[in-house]
Amino acid sequence: MSTAVLNRLKDEFGAVRAALPPGVIDEPRRREALEALCAQGLPAARDENWRYTDLRILEQARFAPVQTQAAALPPLPEVPEGFARYVFVDGQLHSGAGAAHGVAVHTARADDASAAAWRLEARLPEARLALLNETFATDAVSIEVAAGTQAAGIELVFIASAAATEGASYPRVRLALGAHSRLSVIERHLGRTEAPSLVTSAVQVDLAAHAALTHYRVQQLGGQAAWFDTLSAELAADARYEMLAVGAGALSARSTVHARLTGRGAEFSLAAAALADGQQSLDLYALSEHIAPRTRTEQTFRGIASNRARAAFNGKVVVREEARGTDSRQSLRGLLDGAQCEIDLRPQLEIYTDEVSCSHGATAGKLDENMLFYLLSRGIAPEAAQHLLKWAFLEDVIAKITPSDLRRQIETTLLGQMRELDTLKELL
Amino acid sequence: MLTIKNLHATVDGQEILKGLDLEVPEGEVHAIMGPNGSGKSTLAHVLAGRPGYTVTAGSVHFKGHDLLALSPEERAREGVFLGFQYPVEIPGVNNVYLLKAAVNAARAHRGEPEVDAFEFLTLVREKMRLMRMDESMLSRGVNEGFSGGEKKRNEILQMLVLEPSLAVLDETDSGLDIDALKIVAHGVNTLRAPNRSQLLVTHYQRLLEHIVPDRVHVLVKGRIVRSGDRTLALELEQRGYDWLISEAA
Repeated sequence: MSTAVLNRLKDEFGAVRAALPPGVIDEPRRREALEALCAQGLPAARDENWRYTDLRILEQARFAPVQTQAAALPPLPEVPEGFARYVFVDGQLHSGAGAAHGVAVHTARADDASAAAWRLEARLPEARLALLNETFATDAVSIEVAAGTQAAGIELVFIASAAATEGASYPRVRLALGAHSRLSVIERHLGRTEAPSLVTSAVQVDLAAHAALTHYRVQQLGGQAAWFDTLSAELAADARYEMLAVGAGALSARSTVHARLTGRGAEFSLAAAALADGQQSLDLYALSEHIAPRTRTEQTFRGIASNRARAAFNGKVVVREEARGTDSRQSLRGLLDGAQCEIDLRPQLEIYTDEVSCSHGATAGKLDENMLFYLLSRGIAPEAAQHLLKWAFLEDVIAKITPSDLRRQIETTLLGQMRELDTLKELL
Repeated sequence: MLTIKNLHATVDGQEILKGLDLEVPEGEVHAIMGPNGSGKSTLAHVLAGRPGYTVTAGSVHFKGHDLLALSPEERAREGVFLGFQYPVEIPGVNNVYLLKAAVNAARAHRGEPEVDAFEFLTLVREKMRLMRMDESMLSRGVNEGFSGGEKKRNEILQMLVLEPSLAVLDETDSGLDIDALKIVAHGVNTLRAPNRSQLLVTHYQRLLEHIVPDRVHVLVKGRIVRSGDRTLALELEQRGYDWLISEAA
C-alpha cells in the first residue's frame, strides 16, 4: 500500500501547502519532513516494531488538515484543581489562559515565534510518523518553564471533531523545563463523536538539570478514531520525568515514546494502562535509553483486552556503554478477557556495560481463579467479581495519578467503558 | 443446620472425600481434625462450592435445603462463610468496599435495602476494635501487604460483619502466634449463638483451648473415623493420629 499512499500524501501536500501556516513550520521544513518520510516509507505490519499497530486507516485517511473548526465544544470534564486549561480543536488553539507565573505558553497561531522554534527529535524509525505531523501541523504549543519555577499545572485538551475523510489533525506540543523547575501537565485527547478521526500528535520534552515533570496522558478518543502519537524526551542531569498514560479510546492507537537520559542521575518512569474492547487495537512502544551514568528508568504496563481487542506493549531498555550504575525495572502484565482477544508484551533489554541492575517481568493471563473464588465466596456476583478484578488490575497504574479529581475522572471513564459504573461506582 | 451424608468428592480426578457423614446441629461448634492430606480443606472448599472440587456422590443439606445445588455466591448469601487458610491479596479492591458489597449482596438476597453507610462504618469499626485491627486497614487493598496474622484477623472480621449462619474456618489457627490466636478465638466466640453453627477445621488442638467445641470429629482418608467431645482433641494431642490411621486401614 505504501507507494500509493505516499503518492497521495505528496499530492495532498501539494494541494494544501500554500495554506499551511509558515509561522508554525515553514515550507522548506515541511517539504524536508515529507521527503524524509517518503524515503523511509510508511510503517507497515511487517516492520518488527509496528506489527501490533492497526495501520489500515492510513489507506483511506485524508492527510490534509481539517479546514473547519466546529463551532461548539463537546462537554468537557471539570478542570482539575490547580491546572490551567488550554483547549485545542482539531489541532488548533481554541481557548485557554491562566498559566502560572514563570510558565510561558506560546502558540504558533498567535504569531508567537517561540512556539515554532523547535522540532521533534525523530531519531528512530519508530518515530517516523512525527514527520507526518511536521509536514501538516497547523498549530503548535510550546510550554516553557523558567529555571527554578515551582509551577502548578497546565492541562492541554485536544479535541478531534472531524472524520478522517474530512482531514486529519496534528496536535504539536513542546514541554521545556528550565533547571530546578517543576511542572505537572495533563494531556488529554478526546473525541467529539464516533467520527473516525485521524490524529497524529508529536510531543517534545526537554528537561534541564534537576527539572521535574509529571505528565498525565489520557487518550479517550471516539471509538472509530485513530491516534498515532510520537513523544521524544531528553533528560539532563538529575532531571525527573514521570509519565502516566491511560489509553481507553480510539479504534486504533499507537504511541511511540523515546526517552533519552543524557544527564547523570536522570530518572524516567512510565506507567501505562490500556483498556481495549471490541475491535480496538492499543499499542505502545517505549524506548528508555540510558546514556549517562547512574540513570534510572521504570516501565510499568497493565493492559486488558476483551472480545476481539488487542493491547500491546513493546518496551525496550538500552543501556549505553557510559551508563554505569544504571537501574532499570520493567513490570508488564496483560489480562486476557475472552478467547479472541490478544495481549502482546515484549520486554527487551540491550546492555552494553557492566555494573547495572536491570530487572524485567512480563506475564499475560486470565483472571486469577483464587481471587475470583474469594469474591464469590463473599457473595459477590460472578460478573461483578470479574469487573472488580479487572478494575483492581488497572489500579496498579491508576493509583499513581496524584491529583484526586483527575484520578476520579479517569476512573469514572474506565468504569463506564467496562459498563460497570453503576455497580462499582462506590469504589471511587 | 448442616447434614452431610455419604459425601464423595474428587479434585483433579482423585477421590479425596470417600463417604463422609457429618451432622452439625444449630448453635453448635464442631471441630474437624485430622492428619495432613486427610481431606479437611477439601471438605471446607466443597461446602463453599469451589470450582474444581467435584462432588461425585452423597448429599449436603443446609437448613434443610440442598446446598450443592447452589452456586458459591448463593451459598454465601444464604449464610455460609468460608474462612480461608490462605486468604488472597486483592490489591486495588479495598477492604471496606468488599465488606460492604458482601453485606449488601446478602441483604439484596433477603429482599432488604442496602445498609446505611454511616451505621455500617460504625459497626465495622466496632468489630475492628474487637479484632485489634488498625482502622487504616479498611482503606487498604483486600489483605494487601497484610502479615499472615493480619490476614486471618481480617477473615474473622469479615465473618463478624457478615454474621453467617454457618462459618467454616479452614485452619484459621495456622501460622498464628499465641496473641493472634487468642484474638481470633475471641472473635469466633463472640459469634456463638443458638441460631449459628461453626465448623473449625484444624490440625492442632491448641485452637480448641480457646474455642471449646461441642463435638470433635477425626477425618482420616476422606472419612470421619471417630467422633467425641472435646476430650478427643486432648487425646489426639497426646497420642497423635497414627493409631487412628492404622485403625482406619
